[in-house]
Amino acid sequence: MGMRRRSSSTDTTTTDTTTTTSGGMDGGGGGGGGMGGGACYVYPGAPATPGLTNADVTYDLGIDMQIPLTMDDGNTINMWGFSDNGGNMDGMGGGGGGMGGGTFPSPAMRMRQGDIVHTNLNVGMMWMHTVHHHGIEPAHTSDGVGHITWDVANGTYTYQWRPAHAGTYFYHCHTNTVLHAEMGMYGVLIVDPPEGAGTLFSGGPTYDVEAFWVVDEIDSSWHNLPWDAGTCGGDVGLNELNPDYFVITGVDGSGNSAMNLPPISATVQRGQKLLARYICAGYHPQKIRFGGLTGKIYASDGRPLPKPVSVTEIRAASAERYDIIFEPTERGTYLIETDIIHWVTGDVLGTTRTSITVT
Amino acid sequence: MDKRIDRRTFLKFSSAGIASALLGSTGLLSWTPRAEAATITQTFYITEGFITQPDGIDVYFRGFSPSTNSLTVPGAQMIVQEGDTVRITIVNTLGTSHSFKIDGVVDSGRIYGGQTKTIEFQVNNAGTYLYYDARNAPYNRLTGLHGGFAVMPRGSSDEIYDGSPRFVQQYFWLFHDIDPVWHNAIRNRNTPNTRYSPRYFTLNGLSARPPGAPGAHDPNVDAMADPRSALHGHVGDRTLLRVLNPGLCQQSVHTHGNHMEWITDNGQVRDEVWSKDCIYLEGNMGKFDAIYPFESPPDAEPPVNTGTYPMHLHTEMSQTAGGGMYMFGALTDIYFE
Repeated sequence: MGMRRRSSSTDTTTTDTTTTTSGGMDGGGGGGGGMGGGACYVYPGAPATPGLTNADVTYDLGIDMQIPLTMDDGNTINMWGFSDNGGNMDGMGGGGGGMGGGTFPSPAMRMRQGDIVHTNLNVGMMWMHTVHHHGIEPAHTSDGVGHITWDVANGTYTYQWRPAHAGTYFYHCHTNTVLHAEMGMYGVLIVDPPEGAGTLFSGGPTYDVEAFWVVDEIDSSWHNLPWDAGTCGGDVGLNELNPDYFVITGVDGSGNSAMNLPPISATVQRGQKLLARYICAGYHPQKIRFGGLTGKIYASDGRPLPKPVSVTEIRAASAERYDIIFEPTERGTYLIETDIIHWVTGDVLGTTRTSITVT
Repeated sequence: MDKRIDRRTFLKFSSAGIASALLGSTGLLSWTPRAEAATITQTFYITEGFITQPDGIDVYFRGFSPSTNSLTVPGAQMIVQEGDTVRITIVNTLGTSHSFKIDGVVDSGRIYGGQTKTIEFQVNNAGTYLYYDARNAPYNRLTGLHGGFAVMPRGSSDEIYDGSPRFVQQYFWLFHDIDPVWHNAIRNRNTPNTRYSPRYFTLNGLSARPPGAPGAHDPNVDAMADPRSALHGHVGDRTLLRVLNPGLCQQSVHTHGNHMEWITDNGQVRDEVWSKDCIYLEGNMGKFDAIYPFESPPDAEPPVNTGTYPMHLHTEMSQTAGGGMYMFGALTDIYFE
């Protein structure tokens, strides 16, 4: 074991054989003691990135813990997220909040297969976060999993990676993940093939129009919890996700708000090809229905399928992604509905709606 | 409640006692194919007791255990080969009726309290199975009366079924979810009448303990250190995952480091092998087989061949214990050595 919470690092992948716990959390207290009231089982660090080299694409992310999201019923829910102003220190003068600039979802990342990418995560003193690029498989020092490496605290850490496979991914925080990802700390991550946008993957289908269906549920009772809720024990209810809001790509999806809102909704001419990038960003399972259209799944989880599969609906588990091409032939408006389904009972908890208009 | 069973006589087990009883000296499953069919014998004792959860709460369980004075949840992993005869003796030490069933293979029928029953059956279809108590479904199964059972193709050491993609090592991953209120009702021979609210989540019977926590790195306590669960391999050590869900929660099984090759789904061989970083695991006895290929992590710059990555359920509620305690749920680590 070992390879825990190192404060500086030049060794990239060795795991030493000492059996001592180097987490530095004697008595069950976390390394974050004194931060945010005493977090446990967090592994603060922001060392130099092993093997750092020049990047083709760089994302500078900061933290924003006060992102208001107004729902169709007029209620405002507080979301957390990444901002694209990572040069600012969060929490430094914001009255305990972030410096702003964050959005829900967090800023999209988009690069080409083979690019060397840097994700610079800047975190202030008030809390800890990481970036895990879900489906991207880098060195573990760039994987953003606190218990294996570190939770970024009071500094900037550079995640370095080079995507080998075009496709649809997302990134999210992996600190106290159950809470942080639910609070909205995620963004879309698209890897284009060398041909660029308009081709799903080399040798795969082209497309003319693109839609993004990132479907998620929100349990507003979780949204007043601190960043380290539950880490030192105590029942803060994180085993029970009882959502009362249902969102698609950052918009209340239960009514009409996302019905005509590109790039969630899409308008496509007959003869054109629409690529829908569907991400199951919630925790409960989902079922997405295409309103009578038939689509072809060409890829899932950033990998081409051996053979495309024709579908009128898809069932998905948390964090699965599906890339679906539609080539509609009949004019009309097609309702795209995603049911969020309770993980035990199978009950439909809510539904998001958007549309495809064919002209 | 049967008068023979007194609260004071209940076995109380730390996780340590359970896992060591199961593990013996070896964790990783090894398999040597045989040219001839054999008769495999196994005795299970149906026992009960309490297991202390990560937040210190003792929860009632029953198990298919190796002796009268032990409690093993899940029961011992079994691997046999096509054509074998399997002879299983069930000693029901409890006052309640139980059974031993493998769907499509064998059903012991009712085994009364205090009864011993031996069943014998031939296995003919390679695959991954759950053995479980089918009585009072799903309650007896949920209390811990379940285990993993695999049938290898005849004469093969590296296939799931004849002609399947090949592997070099294999693991069972049994995911479970636990509602202590239900377990207590079952202990008192009541039918649970509360909404199911799981509070603990296990992999092969253990919750994880993050570094620095009491029990961390102890293979008898920590699912991240349990050699039955944590994957160890070098690049090229293609690893079969036999994934079973005796619990009620639908799960999303997510690996870091590599995508998985998704081979079977609920006992059916899939038409095409998909490469997935998340696989849908049905609740209520869902299962799948997948191969974790142990290829060099494809997106590393500079390239790497070693490192440590997690496997966790992306249904993140399952990463908690007692309503909080992130990382004390159903997860383990994957070691590229």
